[in-house]
Amino acid sequence: MKTAHEVRSGNVILVDGQPLVVQKTEFSKSGRNSSVVKIKSKGLLTGSGSEVVYKSDDKLEVVTLEKLDCTYSYFADPMFIFMDAEFNQHDVEADNLGDTRGLIVDGMEDQCQVTFYDGKAISVELPTVVVREVEYTEPAVRGDTSGKVMKPAKLKGTDFELPVAAFIEIGDKIEIDTRTNEFKKRA
Amino acid sequence: MQTWSIFCRVVDNFGDIGVCWRLARQLAHEHPLRITLWVDDLAIFAKIRAEINPNLAEQKLESVTIRHWSEQWSADIQANDVVIETFACDLPTAYIEQMRSSTTPPIWINLDYLSAEDWVSGCHGLPSPQQGLSKYFFFPGFNDKTGGLIGEQSMRQQRRAWQSADAKQLRQQLAPKRPAETADTQYISLFAYENSALNAWLHRLKDSPNPIHLFVPQGRVLPQITQLFMQAELHAGEVYQYGAVTISILPMLPQDQYDQLLWSCDLNFVRGEDSFVRAQWAGLPMVWQIYPQSEDTHLEKLVAFLQLYLADLPDELAQALRDFYYTWNQGGDIAQSWTILNTEREVLRQHAKNWALRLAAQGDLATNLVKFTQSKLK
Repeated sequence: MKTAHEVRSGNVILVDGQPLVVQKTEFSKSGRNSSVVKIKSKGLLTGSGSEVVYKSDDKLEVVTLEKLDCTYSYFADPMFIFMDAEFNQHDVEADNLGDTRGLIVDGMEDQCQVTFYDGKAISVELPTVVVREVEYTEPAVRGDTSGKVMKPAKLKGTDFELPVAAFIEIGDKIEIDTRTNEFKKRA
Repeated sequence: MQTWSIFCRVVDNFGDIGVCWRLARQLAHEHPLRITLWVDDLAIFAKIRAEINPNLAEQKLESVTIRHWSEQWSADIQANDVVIETFACDLPTAYIEQMRSSTTPPIWINLDYLSAEDWVSGCHGLPSPQQGLSKYFFFPGFNDKTGGLIGEQSMRQQRRAWQSADAKQLRQQLAPKRPAETADTQYISLFAYENSALNAWLHRLKDSPNPIHLFVPQGRVLPQITQLFMQAELHAGEVYQYGAVTISILPMLPQDQYDQLLWSCDLNFVRGEDSFVRAQWAGLPMVWQIYPQSEDTHLEKLVAFLQLYLADLPDELAQALRDFYYTWNQGGDIAQSWTILNTEREVLRQHAKNWALRLAAQGDLATNLVKFTQSKLK
């Protein structure tokens, strides 16, 4: 069991006996409101999407499925193709990747984990930290060196954008936390 | 007749039970429903409704059955058609078992606190599958993607009918010892937590060219005013003079009378959630002191509310009101923003009136809850 706060994209949760692959999680907390996690998921057996919300400390059954270490090979719309150590190819539907999709780029060498349910590759988890190159961001504003001021940046090889520290420049490599898709630091 | 249960755990102060009681009463009065309100702390409830006997396990008030939610929960208590846990309080395990074993599973709602933040619209009405049941998150809010605000039809009708003569009579009744009213007297209600901006603000009021009458319901701000007066104690029912300001200390008011006080003032300082909502329905200028939280998490809620509330005001006035709210909640220099607000009283008055009309157009929380549950029962 995991708390809803601990669930991340790529996990498979069992809800009322149905396995759901988590595509996106959003944590919200303010004032006296209960801290909640909104989870966007897709039924592994039904293929239908759903949105649910949990208190962040609600316990969810996360299904432990067979996993294999793989590396990313190429994209064959709508499938992402991964390869294991024995050169077997595994196809994962783009939809199942959720937020992870934005961090998958050609040529990446990250060791990924492909998850299988009933023999079918259903999701992919990236390492906790990945390094990606910034393709475009606005120039740094003089004086903003505290690291607290953020600005948007687009990553090379993908449409993914995320807020980065003001001192980051085009061409910099940055570390990204894949649990939250947040900028960590300059690599 | 459909049966509903509302579960209320009193965390602190009167806001939790205040909201739950208003909701229970409105549902019982305005909809064909049989309402049971489970409350864990009846003594606190009795502070806002003197008719409540804290020692009774079950009693009835204004068509609502009120039951004490004790630690020893009987496994025999049957689940109702609709079950509302308020503010994420956890239901008794045995009651959830009863819900699961019902032939028709109840509609289970978690009614949360009010917030103007964007994420609320995205989570409002979503299911939360739990132990074979669907719980739904229901958020009060300020737009039509949320549940709206608690506001009884009866209250809104009474508010519309409220006249300046009624206001005068109420002020007389609440503060019989106060000086005679003059045409330019400004009336302000002050319900607040301890507040580092208060003394500077009162100091400004002291030198006001027109008389000001301040109604202060007993509460956490009173020791601070007592200290300002350098007195041992201020007493409810008494009137104190501070330059141009007459201060009337009021006893704890019943909810309905507090509403009337809000309708009878030119400006209302409110705190928490319940009085904050009532001040908005009053359609009069207000200043909100949000319930303070560790790590200042409450300030995000304040910012989100002001973004909505100030959207239609002229820039300079919006900035002055924003500054005043921030100062009132965090301390700082209050003088400049107060001067602007005080000279634009009529614009603020019209703005507050428009805001209340806009809220009313979105429907009230109780009615929206009924509509939501009916749609899930189909």
